[in-house]
Amino acid sequence: MGVVLRNLQNVVPLRRAKLRKDVEVLRHIFGVQRFDMGIICVDNRRIQRINHVYRKKNQPTDVLSFPFYEDLRPGKIPCVLQREEYNLGDIFLGVEYVMQQCKETSQDLHEALTVVTAHGICHLLGYRHETEEEWNEMQQKESYILSEFNRLTGSHLEPLTKRSTQDMRP
Amino acid sequence: MLKSVSRAVQLAARLSFSRSFWSLSSSGAASGSRPRLLTATRALPTLSCGCGSLHTEGDKAFAEFLTDEIKEEKKIQKNKSLPKMSGGWELELNGTEAKLIRSLSGEKVTITFNVNNSIPPQLEEDPEHAQKSPEDEPEIVSTPNFVVEVTKPGVKSSLVFDCHFPEDETGHGEGEEESDIFAIREVSFQPEGDVEWKETSYTLNTDSLDWALYDHLMDFLADRGVDNTFADELTELSTALEHQEYIKFLEDLSTFVKCK
Repeated sequence: MGVVLRNLQNVVPLRRAKLRKDVEVLRHIFGVQRFDMGIICVDNRRIQRINHVYRKKNQPTDVLSFPFYEDLRPGKIPCVLQREEYNLGDIFLGVEYVMQQCKETSQDLHEALTVVTAHGICHLLGYRHETEEEWNEMQQKESYILSEFNRLTGSHLEPLTKRSTQDMRP
Repeated sequence: MLKSVSRAVQLAARLSFSRSFWSLSSSGAASGSRPRLLTATRALPTLSCGCGSLHTEGDKAFAEFLTDEIKEEKKIQKNKSLPKMSGGWELELNGTEAKLIRSLSGEKVTITFNVNNSIPPQLEEDPEHAQKSPEDEPEIVSTPNFVVEVTKPGVKSSLVFDCHFPEDETGHGEGEEESDIFAIREVSFQPEGDVEWKETSYTLNTDSLDWALYDHLMDFLADRGVDNTFADELTELSTALEHQEYIKFLEDLSTFVKCK
């Protein structure tokens, strides 16, 4: 399988091939190439609805993760017994929300989506940021992942700051 | 022995058959009238008319029904004129077939679709909601398969994409849809301008295609204006055209059926 990429919105012009390529590099760095995952790009209306249903927050956000394995120890690669369990889960990218943020910060959309996806994969692997300690642990992981990404691709990505993301794992 | 037995059986069967008919035809003795089952030919309930065609009571009822139906359909017609596509697409119509044409830096992009059989069946999922009021009826949307032809100047073959609107994986309107708005099914090089599909040209089927290649093909189309916005507008255009053709068909049918 691999990465199932879906674009369900028409607000933001998306480069699917570029997003997939970046996600593949991230999967390699995380060490989860064997695991399937879904990346679904949605607009503000849809991500707000999902946020409301699953987190009782009636507002759009940048990313929502739905891990296949719940309660993983942060960063632990799941131990898989059967083929169908090579699944990490799904990440919904609020691309319209991210685009609006990029306009404010003059950031490149696809670079921002890569950073947000890295954040989403951290959540699929058990990382949280509900406490200060958890946030620090997660940000450390993200910094490592993105520095490796930058080394491999020549990019200059930086982790999300506390202000820029509202998502918590549902 | 066997032959005579079978012949006897056949004779007995025929006798009982005719006996039943005899008793049936006799049953009218009490009522005073004999029903005519076998003697009279079936009389068709015709209306007198001078046009020379057959006109029955059924036709009259049908015509009345159609008059009401046409009135109702025109009442709910969302677009009296066809909606315009953004992006400078030129529309050509030939009955139920539509072509959208656009030129982009010397390249010609043609989208062809047909509104026949373009409305997916709407399955009733919840039996409790079977008796819906007209306001609750799901909207009828036409999602036709469409073909995208990209022709570069000086190149004899066009790159042809057979595209469709996948049915939602989670059903109609319930839950979160997780299919792409539209998808590519097949890709092939075809001689430019030819109506007939060249079967000997290699046809790439996307069912088991490398997903990175698929994404590049989708990006290729998006760069030529065939993206999710286009797909949404196409369904609006197709829905309006289908409805228009349906009403026209009802009107033609009414004309055909009516007594002049």
